[in-house]
Amino acid sequence: MSWTQRITSGFDAVVDLFSEPFFQALLVIVIGLIAGYLLGRLTTGLLDVVGVSKLVEGTATERWFQRMGTSTVILMGRLVSLFTYVAAFLSAFLILGALDGDVFWELATAWLPHLFVAILVLVIGIVLADKVELIVAERLQGIKLPEVSVIPKIIKYTIIFIALLIALGQIGVDTTALLVVLTIYALAFLIFGVVALQDFLSSGAAGIYLLFNQPYAIGDEITLDETSGIVQEVGVFVTRIEDDEAEYIVPNRRVMKEGVTRIRYN
Amino acid sequence: MTDVLSPFERLFTDVDAVFLFDPSSSFFERFDEIESVDIVVIAPSNDLNAERFVALPISFGEFTDRVNFGIEGALEAEYIDDGDTVLCVGSVFDDEVDTVSRVRVDAESRSGVYDLLVNSRPDEIVIRDVIELAVELGQKGQKGSPVGALFVVGDAGKVMNKSRPLSYNPFEKSHVNVGDPIVKVMLKEFSRLDGAFVISDSGKIVSAYRYLEPSAEGVDIPKGLGARHMAAGAITRDTNAVAIVLSESDGLVRAFKGGELTLELDPEDY
Repeated sequence: MSWTQRITSGFDAVVDLFSEPFFQALLVIVIGLIAGYLLGRLTTGLLDVVGVSKLVEGTATERWFQRMGTSTVILMGRLVSLFTYVAAFLSAFLILGALDGDVFWELATAWLPHLFVAILVLVIGIVLADKVELIVAERLQGIKLPEVSVIPKIIKYTIIFIALLIALGQIGVDTTALLVVLTIYALAFLIFGVVALQDFLSSGAAGIYLLFNQPYAIGDEITLDETSGIVQEVGVFVTRIEDDEAEYIVPNRRVMKEGVTRIRYN
Repeated sequence: MTDVLSPFERLFTDVDAVFLFDPSSSFFERFDEIESVDIVVIAPSNDLNAERFVALPISFGEFTDRVNFGIEGALEAEYIDDGDTVLCVGSVFDDEVDTVSRVRVDAESRSGVYDLLVNSRPDEIVIRDVIELAVELGQKGQKGSPVGALFVVGDAGKVMNKSRPLSYNPFEKSHVNVGDPIVKVMLKEFSRLDGAFVISDSGKIVSAYRYLEPSAEGVDIPKGLGARHMAAGAITRDTNAVAIVLSESDGLVRAFKGGELTLELDPEDY
């Protein structure tokens, strides 16, 4: 055998090897494993650079992850790796003929990305809910009332509920019933808000007019709906009027409804 | 060491309460196990979660002012009673604890400084802001020519009716609050002109250039203070307002309430 023949036969052997489905499948798995590992590391690094680990610091989820010896950022990286591995194995099965082509495309284009997005949404939702709960609780710290601690909890579970809804929608679960619950919940919130705040809103609107135009100022003597006295303070929501006996705190919407009489002596 | 300490033993016996002025947390912890006397912390904020606490709204330069404020606050909160003996621990020279003084509580001769800041009609924060403003004006004014100023805080409706304008009111239809950062520059300019500043309970500057005309009958302020102080004393007797005066002649900041001088601060030590 001359050396040209030798090369050709070696080349043929390599080609033979590559046309062997088993070897192709093995190659795909190896590439998939390496790519998955690298993608996972890349995700973790990227999230770290963007500042996600700082953002989730102190949340209940992050603390829980840390007790398990991991963290949110690492977990996201693992998730990306895992899905790449699964995709690689599925491709390998396709090459080996263990998987039907249609089933593969169904899995690869519809089912897998949706599952990925669903898990992603769920994790982001839970972390976000924790973070928002933390921020709101911090804001409300000044109010020393035990009942107030319910508000951050309500907000947290609302966010988790919405995340769950999106996640379930992604993997094709029928969410109509849950959507109805959400709608009723939102509607109740809206109605409650409008009913509770309508007096505040109308007083605030009147108050803005009063602050800009100043039809009466501090020190003026006025009569407002049978209440007379000297104006002590004009705020956005209320006007404080004082006479010798008492201080009256009048909501500004009454100024617009009933009008004000200014008393002049000269 | 006991030989040095023994003459001072009398200072530390028969004490009803110990007042710690702005203590560090490690220093405060040393008092944890003492149960025979009450420990009262007097500080700007209760970071140490002390059981007995009096909030100090302004950082008095003088230790005696701090002690007076603490005692009056503790009396108000009923941590101590009239006739009690209190050991006041604080710092005079540095930030570290260096001073102990033994004070007998006498409810009769209170200076009223706690009452002025906490129990007045305007917000505590507003009074504090105005005092700080007057102090700063005093410090800055002394470099050039000294300035004088008169701020009447609270009960603005009544004050406006007991005064008249000397000129057009620059604060008309404006919404300037004494807590705003730009105010200092603005008021420094306006303080060149005569008259009083009128500030509402919530801190809104209602007017400048007001000529106060309360009846000064029976107002008793220390002799030697000028017309500005007399007007300040008189307006606080006639209304529920608090007046804060920066003296042009001696540069001191004085506060009046109910017609009486209740607080005197030197801007230089503040």
